[in-house]
Amino acid sequence: MATNSKAYSLPSNVSPETVANTSSLLRIVSLALISGAAIASRLFAVVNFESIIHEFDPWFNYRATRVLASKGFYAFWNWFDPTAWYPLGRVVGGTVYPGLMATSGVIYNILHALHLPVDIRNICVLLAPGFSALTAWSTYMFTKEMKDESAGLLAAAFIGIVPGYISRSVAGSYDNEAIAIFLLMFTFYCWIKALKTGSALFGTLAALFYFYMVAAWGGYAFITNMIPLHALALILMGRYSSRLYVAYSSWYAIGTLASMQVPFVGFQPVRTSEHMGALGVFGLLQIIAFAELVRSHVSSKQFQSLLYASVIGAGILGTAGIVGLTYKGWIAPWTGRFYSLWDTGYAKKYIPIIASVSEHQPTAWPSFFMDLHFLIFLFPAGVAMCFKQLRDEHVFVIIYAVVASYFAGVMVRLMLTLTPCVCVAAAVAFSSLLDTYIDPAEPNVPKEEAEATEADPGAADAPTTPKKAKKASAPPPTLGDFVGKFVVDEKKPHGIFGLNTRLAVILNALAMLVFFVLHCTWVTANAYSSPSVVLASSNPDGSQHIIDDFREAYYWLRQNTPQDAVVMSWWDYGYQIAGMADRPTLVDNNTWNNTHIATVGKAMSSSEEVAYPILRKHDVDYVLIIFGGLLGYSGDDINKFLWMVRIAQGVWPNEIQEPNYFTPRGEYRVDDQAPPAMKNSLMYKMSYYRFAELFGGQPAQDRVRGQQISKTSPTLDYLDEAFTSENWIVRIYQVRKEDLLGRDLKLANAFEAGRKRKKQKPPVRRRAIA
Amino acid sequence: MAAWLLALLGLAISACAKSSTGNSVLVLLEPSLDKANFSTFFNGLTESGYELTFRAPRDAKPAVIEDDVAQFSHVVVFAPDTKSFAQDVTPQSLVSLLSKGTNLLLALSPKKQTIVNSLAAEFSLILPPPGTPLISHFPERDTPATVIPVKPTENPIVPTKGLLPVWFSGVPFAYSPNPLLVPILNAPSESFAADSTTDSGAEGIVEAADKGGEGLWAGSQLALVAGFQAHGDTRVLWAGGVDMFSDEFAQKESAKGQQSGNAQFVRDAAAWAFRESKVLRIDSVAHHRVNETEPRETYTTNDHVVFNTHISMFNPKTSVWEPYSGISDLQLEFTMLDPHIRTSLPPVPSNPGEYEVTFRVPDRHGVFKFIIDYKRKG
Repeated sequence: MATNSKAYSLPSNVSPETVANTSSLLRIVSLALISGAAIASRLFAVVNFESIIHEFDPWFNYRATRVLASKGFYAFWNWFDPTAWYPLGRVVGGTVYPGLMATSGVIYNILHALHLPVDIRNICVLLAPGFSALTAWSTYMFTKEMKDESAGLLAAAFIGIVPGYISRSVAGSYDNEAIAIFLLMFTFYCWIKALKTGSALFGTLAALFYFYMVAAWGGYAFITNMIPLHALALILMGRYSSRLYVAYSSWYAIGTLASMQVPFVGFQPVRTSEHMGALGVFGLLQIIAFAELVRSHVSSKQFQSLLYASVIGAGILGTAGIVGLTYKGWIAPWTGRFYSLWDTGYAKKYIPIIASVSEHQPTAWPSFFMDLHFLIFLFPAGVAMCFKQLRDEHVFVIIYAVVASYFAGVMVRLMLTLTPCVCVAAAVAFSSLLDTYIDPAEPNVPKEEAEATEADPGAADAPTTPKKAKKASAPPPTLGDFVGKFVVDEKKPHGIFGLNTRLAVILNALAMLVFFVLHCTWVTANAYSSPSVVLASSNPDGSQHIIDDFREAYYWLRQNTPQDAVVMSWWDYGYQIAGMADRPTLVDNNTWNNTHIATVGKAMSSSEEVAYPILRKHDVDYVLIIFGGLLGYSGDDINKFLWMVRIAQGVWPNEIQEPNYFTPRGEYRVDDQAPPAMKNSLMYKMSYYRFAELFGGQPAQDRVRGQQISKTSPTLDYLDEAFTSENWIVRIYQVRKEDLLGRDLKLANAFEAGRKRKKQKPPVRRRAIA
Repeated sequence: MAAWLLALLGLAISACAKSSTGNSVLVLLEPSLDKANFSTFFNGLTESGYELTFRAPRDAKPAVIEDDVAQFSHVVVFAPDTKSFAQDVTPQSLVSLLSKGTNLLLALSPKKQTIVNSLAAEFSLILPPPGTPLISHFPERDTPATVIPVKPTENPIVPTKGLLPVWFSGVPFAYSPNPLLVPILNAPSESFAADSTTDSGAEGIVEAADKGGEGLWAGSQLALVAGFQAHGDTRVLWAGGVDMFSDEFAQKESAKGQQSGNAQFVRDAAAWAFRESKVLRIDSVAHHRVNETEPRETYTTNDHVVFNTHISMFNPKTSVWEPYSGISDLQLEFTMLDPHIRTSLPPVPSNPGEYEVTFRVPDRHGVFKFIIDYKRKG
C-alpha cells in the first residue's frame, strides 16, 4: 500500500545489501541464542539435583544404551534380556525403538574417536537438551515456510522454552520423545519443502527422517497419518498437482520400505490398520495420476466420464479390499491404545493397564495454560491466519492443529505433539501482529475519516491482510453490518495511525513475551525438573532437603542380595530396579505381557497364603513396595493398588474382585474400617507392617490418605522385612523359603514364637459299618 | 528363541557305618538311665567311628549350639522323664539344629509331656495323651502287656530280611500327611494305646471303633519308629521309647533261643539318621550343545542340548563317595514356570555314576532351569 507519511523515520542511507547481511547475521545470532536458551533452561535438573537419569523409561533406555556402547550394535540387536520379565525374558533387540540408543551410541563413538572420554551417562543426560536446540532450528525452518524468517525465529524461541516440550526434554529425561520432536518437525519441514518444490530429493529426505522417527518413537504413526491426511485434503480441495504426486510417492515408497527395516515395526506398515490410511492415499494418488495422464491424451467427453467412473470404482474396490482383508485377519484391526483415543472410557473398561498410566489420562484444562501459557490464546489466531492465504502448507498446519488439539485433549501425553503446532501458529500470529505495528507506514486517509479510524483501537489487522477489514465503530450492529465487517472495503483506507497506538500494542506484546519467559522459567524450574528418582523438599529455613530413598534402596539391593535374586515390584519400578539395582524383575514398564502383570497384581492383592505359591513359582526372593504414608509421598503403591486389583481382576475375575477392596459405603480406606480383603492383602500388610510402632503409642497417621492406622501392626508369616529406607518410601521384603519341616509357614512362625499348638487327633481312616 | 539356562538342583537323598557329615555325637542321657544298659547301642556307634559325648539334660555344658554354630554333627536325646532341660535345649533350638546340619535321634516319653513329645507335633506326628503307652495282649508271653514284640514292617530304611521281631515298649504315634515322613516300624495290629493295662477302658475303645475310629489309638496304622528327612537333608529319627535301644531288650529272646532283632534294628535306624546309609549326592552337572563341550549362556531353538550329571553314594564302610548308577527312574525337567520338557535321565552304562540325556530345546524364549527332582522315601 502506498503511503505518504510514516509514523517514524527509518535510516535511509543504508544499502539493501547491508540490510540483508545484517539481518542474516542477526538471524544466526538469534538462533544461536535461542539454542543456548533452550539448552540452558533444560539444565535446571542438573543444577538443582545432579546429572542423573530421570523417571522410569529413561532408565531402560540408559541401560540399553550402555549395552550398545559396550558391546556394539550387533550384540544389542540380538540382545535377549533374561533379567526382565523373569522368567519369560525379553527380546530387547526386537521390541525396542533403537533410534535413541543408536543416536547416543554414535555420539559416544564419535567423541571417543576424538579422544574425548565422555561418560555414556552424561551423553544420555544431555542428549535431550542438545536435541531441543535442533528442534528449535527445525521449527524455524518449518515456520519460515509458513510465513517468513521473523515468524520462524519467534517459533524457534517459543519451542525452545515452552514448558509443553520442556516437560519431556529436560536434562536426564532420556526418552524417545527427546529426539522424536526434532524428527517430527524436520520430517514435516522436508515434506512441506517437497510439496512446495515438487522435489523428489526433499521427498526422499522426508522419508529418511521418517525412517529415523520410526526407529526412534512409537509416535511415528502420527506422521504416518498426518501426511496422507494432508495429501487427501489437498486432493479433495482439488489441489492435486504433479508436485504432490512426486512428494508423496517418494516419501511413501522410500519411507515405508525404510520403516520396515526396524525389527519392532517389521511388517506392520502393510499389516495393521493404523498404516492403511497412508497406503490408501498412495493408491488414490496413483489412480488420480493415471486418470490425469489419460485425460490429457483423450479428449472425448464420454470417455472422460467413463474414466471418472472407473477411477471412483477402483477407489471403492480398493477400500473394500482393505476392509475385506481386515475381516479376514490379514490386516490387524485397530489396537486398544488406538481405540482409547476415540473413546476415552474404552481403556478403563477393557485395558486397565493402559488406563493406569497417569500420562494416558485426559488432559485437564489448566495444564494447557501451564504448558503453553499465552501461546494457547494466539494459537487459534494463528490457525485463522492460515486460512487467509491457504497455501498448501497452511492446509497442513490447519489439519495438524485440529488433529493434535483433539489428541492433546484426550491424553496428557499427546500435549507434546500439539506443542510444536501451537508454537508455529502462535509465531505466525505474533509476527503478523508485530509486522503490522512495527511497520512505520501510515495509511493515506482523507481528513474526515481520520478521526473515526483513529478512535478504533481494535484495528489489529495488518495491511497485509486485506480480507479482514477493520471494525466499524459506533452504530448498532445488524447482520448486514456484521457481514460488512468481513467484506473488503477497498475504498476505505485502513492501517495504524501514530506512534502511541503502535507503542501501546507493541509494549503489550513485549510484556506478554516477558511474562511467557518468566512463566516458562518458573514452570521448568519447579514442575518439570524433578528427576523423580530423587525427591526434594524444603526445610523450615527454606533450604533444600533431598530425599534419596529410591537410590538408597536400590543400592541396598545391589550390595546385599545375590546377583540372581528376583525382585518383584509393581511394574512402574521395573526399569529402575533393572537399571539401578541390576536385579531380575518380574514386570517392568514395557508392559508387554498383561497376564504377567496381572500375576503380580494378584500376588499383591491376595492374602499371604494365596500369594506365597505365586511368589515361589516365580522364584521371587524380594518384594519391593513404595510406601508414602510416612512422608506424604502420594505416588505410592497403596494409591496405585486399585489398578493392581483391577488388572488382576481382568484375568482372574473369580478370585479378585474390586468391590471387596472398598468399604460397604464405597470408600477406599486403610484405617480400622478397611474391609478384610484390603487388610489381608499382601500390599496392605507390607505397607503398614510395623508402621504404628514409629509413633510410639500415639495414633499412627497415614499422611497420604489422611487416615489413622490401627495400632496393631499386620503380621507377616511368609515374608520377612529386609529393608526399609530412611523415609520409609521404599520397603523391601524377603520371601521366606519353605519350612524345614514342611509345615505351613504360619504354623512354623507360631512355633518359633513359642505358641502352643492345638491338640490333634489321629486322622480317621475307617468308617463304621452300620 | 533363546533358552537361558540356569542349573538348579533339588535332590532328595536316600539310604549306611560312619556318617557322611561328621562323627561327633552328643547324647543327652538322663541320669536315671544307666549308660551301661545301652552299651550295645553306644558301643556299636563307637566301634563305627563315632565320638560320643554324654551330658545330662540339665547340664549346661557342653552346649548344643555355641555362637550360632552347631557343636555336634548328631544329637541323641534319651530323656523320657525330664520335663525341663537346660536352657540351650528347647523345641526351637532342636529345630534350628536341623537347619544347621545336625541330625537328631529322639525318643519319646510314654509317661510325661516332655519337650520332645511336644516337639513331635511339628514333625507331623500325633501323639496320644500322656501316660498312654502301647499295649498288646498278643502274642501270649511272660512280659508285661506294655512290652511287645513287633514284627518289623517292610520299610525303605532298615533291611528286614532275616530280622527277628523287635521288642518295643513306649508310646505309639499317628502320622498326619507329610511327604517328609518315612515310616520305619509300625505297631502290631492287635495293639492299642491305653492308660492302664487292666483294660478298664476297653468298652470305650469298642465304642470309639463303632463311631468310625475317631480318637482311636489302635491298630497297625500307629507308628513306633519313624524317620523324617527335613528340607536341607538333615534327618531325624523318632522312636516311641528308649527301651528298644537298651541291652535288656537287645538280649531278650524274641523267638526260641534267639536274640531279638533290636540290636540290628536300632543300629540300622541310627545309621540312616546319622546319614551313613542311603546318602546320595550330585557331584556335578553340566550342559552343552551336541558336539561341543562348553556350556552356553543361551541356547536357541532347535539346539540339541546334552545334560549330564554325576551321582555318587556314600559308602560308610570305606567312608568314600562311590559312583552310583543304580537309579533307573531319574528325571530331568526343563522348566520355565512349568516343565516344558520332562525326560528320563538314564545312567550311562559305560561310565558308572554318570547320567546323561540329549534333548531338543523348546521353541520358547525365557529363563529355563534344569531341574532334577528325585525324591524317594528313605
